[in-house]
Amino acid sequence: MVPIKYNTRNLWVRRGTTLMTVAGTALIVWSSCILFSMVEGLQQSLDVSGDPLDLIILRKGSTNETDGGFELDKADTMVTLKGVATDPKLGPLVSRELLNIPVMERANGSRTNLIIRGLDPVGRLLRRDFQIVAGRDLELGKGEAIVSERLAGRFKNSNLGDTLKVGEKESYRVVGLFRAGGGSAESEIWVDRKDLERNLSREGSVSSVQIRAAGPTDFESIKTVITDDAQYRLLALGEREYYAKQTQSTTFLKVFGFVIAVFLTIGAMFAAANTMFGAVASRTREIGTMRALGFSKSSILFCFLGESVILCSIGGIVGLLATLPLQALSFGTVNSNTFTEITVNFAFGPLVMIVAFSMTLAMGVLGGFLPAWKATDKDIIASLREL
Amino acid sequence: MKYLGYVLRNISRNPVRSLLTIGSISVSLFLMMIMLSFLSVNSEVSDSLKGSNRIIAMSSQGFAAQVPIRFVDEVGSMEGVTAASPLSWYGGKYQEQEMPFAQFGIYPEKIFDIWDELTIPEDQKKAFIDDPAGCVIGFKMAEERNIKIGDPMPLKGTIYPFDLNLTVRGIYKSPPDRDGRMCIFNWRFLEEGLKKDFQGRQAGNAGTVFLKIKSGTDPAQVCQKIDASTINSDTPTRTQTEDAFVAQFAELWGDMRLMISAVGLAVVVSLIFVSGNAMAMAMRERTTEIAILKAIGFTNGKVLGMVLSEAVFVSTIGGMIGALGCKLLFDVFDISPYTAGALPFFFIPTKTALLGFGTSILIGFLSGLLPAFAAARLGVIQGLRKVV
Amino acid sequence: MSAPLAIQIHNVTKEYKRNGQAIPVLSGLNLNVNQGEFLALMGPSGSGKTTLLNLIAGLDWATAGDVIVDGLNISGLREKELTRWRADHIGFIFQMYNLIPVMTAQENVELPLLLQPVTRNERRRRAATALKIVGLEGREDHYPRQLSGGQEQRVAIARAIVTDPALIVADEPTGDLDRTSAEEILGLLETLHRDLEKTIVMVTHDPQAASKASRLLRLDKGQLVGDETQAEARNRMGVS
Repeated sequence: MVPIKYNTRNLWVRRGTTLMTVAGTALIVWSSCILFSMVEGLQQSLDVSGDPLDLIILRKGSTNETDGGFELDKADTMVTLKGVATDPKLGPLVSRELLNIPVMERANGSRTNLIIRGLDPVGRLLRRDFQIVAGRDLELGKGEAIVSERLAGRFKNSNLGDTLKVGEKESYRVVGLFRAGGGSAESEIWVDRKDLERNLSREGSVSSVQIRAAGPTDFESIKTVITDDAQYRLLALGEREYYAKQTQSTTFLKVFGFVIAVFLTIGAMFAAANTMFGAVASRTREIGTMRALGFSKSSILFCFLGESVILCSIGGIVGLLATLPLQALSFGTVNSNTFTEITVNFAFGPLVMIVAFSMTLAMGVLGGFLPAWKATDKDIIASLREL
Repeated sequence: MKYLGYVLRNISRNPVRSLLTIGSISVSLFLMMIMLSFLSVNSEVSDSLKGSNRIIAMSSQGFAAQVPIRFVDEVGSMEGVTAASPLSWYGGKYQEQEMPFAQFGIYPEKIFDIWDELTIPEDQKKAFIDDPAGCVIGFKMAEERNIKIGDPMPLKGTIYPFDLNLTVRGIYKSPPDRDGRMCIFNWRFLEEGLKKDFQGRQAGNAGTVFLKIKSGTDPAQVCQKIDASTINSDTPTRTQTEDAFVAQFAELWGDMRLMISAVGLAVVVSLIFVSGNAMAMAMRERTTEIAILKAIGFTNGKVLGMVLSEAVFVSTIGGMIGALGCKLLFDVFDISPYTAGALPFFFIPTKTALLGFGTSILIGFLSGLLPAFAAARLGVIQGLRKVV
Repeated sequence: MSAPLAIQIHNVTKEYKRNGQAIPVLSGLNLNVNQGEFLALMGPSGSGKTTLLNLIAGLDWATAGDVIVDGLNISGLREKELTRWRADHIGFIFQMYNLIPVMTAQENVELPLLLQPVTRNERRRRAATALKIVGLEGREDHYPRQLSGGQEQRVAIARAIVTDPALIVADEPTGDLDRTSAEEILGLLETLHRDLEKTIVMVTHDPQAASKASRLLRLDKGQLVGDETQAEARNRMGVS
């Protein structure tokens, strides 16, 4: 085998070309990583709770909470359902929730639909890792709101201490910032359910109810009662199942991102091939010499293939590292299920790693193959004569 | 021009390299066209709606809130308004597919006066008006799903508890930048159903209200007048022109637009490196030759011009294939049916294609600059001596 | 002849195809070379001397006939076998030195040993010894561009002998060198021949180089037109 330092030193000797190619491939890997970390971040942001014992109750036939709701009376009686988990302080883990989706202005002046959720205090226990990170939790009936930390400041008047004006008669004082495990709650503003009910003149109705069952058998029995019992006849979905449905919409984005990554990889592959063809052409005599000395065709093939992979890997690593400064950023876009704002953190998880890795490998191997093949196919005697 | 032959011969002397560069540019620009068109199609449509004399009223609380149906008659009789119809999103399932196409409850006798770019034969329109359970569908959807007049169109409600069992009474035709896959039905049919079977729950909701105004009327004034009339009611409205209404969907995308633009920019910069590299490699091989050209009297400016035009030529070919080819492809081939309803229509706006083509020329110019200056500055003696 | 044969060429013909026409380069050539001989192949351009060298070195195949080197008929070997065989049996010296520019002198000499089953330390040791033989101690870490032409060619010679091959082939080894460097190189080859008893086949234009060989072969138009020992040549030329 031809030693690796032969490749690395040649890459260094032709550092101008190497640098250009690395810059080209790094930008390609970087942009693909951004796309996929957006998709991955979006998926995390659609996550509802993640607890396998959590249920979400919707009106039959609807697909998500924004599709209208049902009568508060029904929701009230759910507290008495058998098998509901209980918190020693707050009682049964049943949270009645009401949504308002006003058009709100982002800090940059554009407008979008934002979820304002009125919920019972116990609802906080039904979100993963809910915690107040600044200020305090809201007090009931006082027109106060808590805002997701991620979202605060991204909308006008949504920072701690601001007064968030929603409509002519509706406004809330922001008294705290919260986190909720990175899930969908972090795209929302929370208020007291009764405050919201009053402001919207929607007394007597809820958008959804969230319930935690005490155990897996209770989970099933609650589901059956709510679906079949004459007094309910509602839709009871496990939150996991609900979440899976919500994230279906990211499939399109994933496919879109995948198509983009494939196209970009093909483009970068051509670039890598160009560089490697140049490398092979300028080292014809060296190749002839090594062949004469007894290096086999396959060792020449792997030598140049290796060089191509090293070249693209540098680009891949640089591209991946260049995403680091974005780790802390969050951005807002639309949840295509509900047409509402969703706040997304870039997520550089395994998906992004896999994308970067496979793009790099594809560029290096596929882009390097033809040039490497050409290197092995050279006539020894003719190449020894080459200048 | 007289050097064109020399430039062309230089491009074809290492055909693999030229083809790879062209390939890289065209593939990447092709992609850029698709990405940018996601952004520009919306503003293109929005632009084309300027002067449509249509305005839309929705609840100031967003799509989930109500605009009561009485409001349609109230604003319909306002001065300057010639026709008004509810436009109520039904969002039902068809054959177990969730929301495979847009479904709207409307007033059949009004809607074709408002959407005057949609055409439908007079007899079909009459049949639609006469049958309360009738519906009209877009011609693209009729073709793709092989649906004919008289066929049933069952929709299962998701937002509304009432399922619609409709019959197709007509098929409308639409220009390419309008949704050709809608299903519109009589709003009153849904309303009656809700009242009869569900004690009127969720009834009375117009969704949004679509209005046609007399040409020559100032749409902004009408919008203001409408909003002023509802500001103290239970259901204040937000009224805007149709183009502004369409544009707001692009606004929903928020920072995603910025991301897509950033990726597009990264691709362009990457291409400058890629084709610059190819050009630099070509120059290195030709060092002696350039020195000879200079020795026989070619000025630095001429050498610079030749190298630059070679770079521009190559990337322009890439731009032609990538940008203009992409436009042609999507003009012929409609991808909407494969996006599961995510894109009701998709095309590459001419402006976007030209932007891509222009970008390719710019890429060629920028990528050629450095190699061209290096070639122009090359000393004759040094170049003749250099063994590559 | 007492010494075993290093090279046997039996009725070898070599043709190149150009535009569908066969152009003969060697026709019906016969030649025996004893072990330990230092052979100089001479002749005008196009006489076929380099082609003959390439056949002996296993870089090319004869159109007809047998090339037997060190007892093995290499005409029957396939590409892959021939490649392996070259690594084990042949040491190459080229006119343009053909060192790998990105490798140091030491690394260039170690290169052929990478194909041999030797440890890293053994490789180091052997390469150092070879460099010592060509008189380049202390230059191990120099890159080719930091060396003079003569020094480069000496590195190439070290590379040729490091695997202790049966046969060393040299194609115009002094063709690119000034007089003094050429003398040094020729002196080295002579040493390899005399002290290490290497069989050497050298193609050359240079009478000075040819004068160091033990046997002189002349080719013209693909035929052997002269075959004499150094002593015979000197007698014929009338020099002592």
